[in-house]
Amino acid sequence: MTTLHIVRQSAFNTNDLAQCMQVLGNNDVIAFIDDGCYNLQHNLINSIERDKNIRLTAIEQHASARAIAINEEVCSKITMNDLVSLTFENDRVITWQ
Amino acid sequence: MNNTSKSLAIINAKAPYSSTAGKDALDIALIFGSFEQAVSLFFQGEGVWQLIKEQDGSIISAKDYLKTFAAFEFYDIEQVYVCQSSLKERNLPESFHIDNVNVLNQQDFAKKLTSHHSILRF
Repeated sequence: MTTLHIVRQSAFNTNDLAQCMQVLGNNDVIAFIDDGCYNLQHNLINSIERDKNIRLTAIEQHASARAIAINEEVCSKITMNDLVSLTFENDRVITWQ
Repeated sequence: MNNTSKSLAIINAKAPYSSTAGKDALDIALIFGSFEQAVSLFFQGEGVWQLIKEQDGSIISAKDYLKTFAAFEFYDIEQVYVCQSSLKERNLPESFHIDNVNVLNQQDFAKKLTSHHSILRF
């Protein structure tokens, strides 16, 4: 049972990402969209527990519009269509907004 | 809880009076309760302020929806969970203006939350 976490806010501005990280389960997926893309610049993403095998994704358009570089070793680039697929591939969705 | 029916979790993550988020979450919880749907309430981060005793919204002309929390039992909303670390961060005691509130550590909070089919966050 996995959860898709859609993160829409910057951790520089809110605690949403920190709260999301408190409830992460094994093999969960995080999708950074809208201002959530700014989290790719935040140190918090380095403290996501590696042993939980969390997959990080970000909407490429949203990141590039904000001039945020996506390091593909850490985070995969996705499209809106991929995001829709992710909602089906995971058992539930939490939108952190 | 009946395994064949779907369960809803509502996360409250905002303080009570600066936005309508808490009131919106309450409305949804009561609607689900009215239709005998399984609904659980979770309080995390700034949301824990909604449960603190001796609040009075009328002083700042805010509609005091928190008093309605006392009706949870009437609506069969019996599963209320609070994040212990959110309380600790704010130096808040584990005493609330409603009864039957479960304070959970981070691990149990996450486990309980993800045992639900659908999750809404306000």
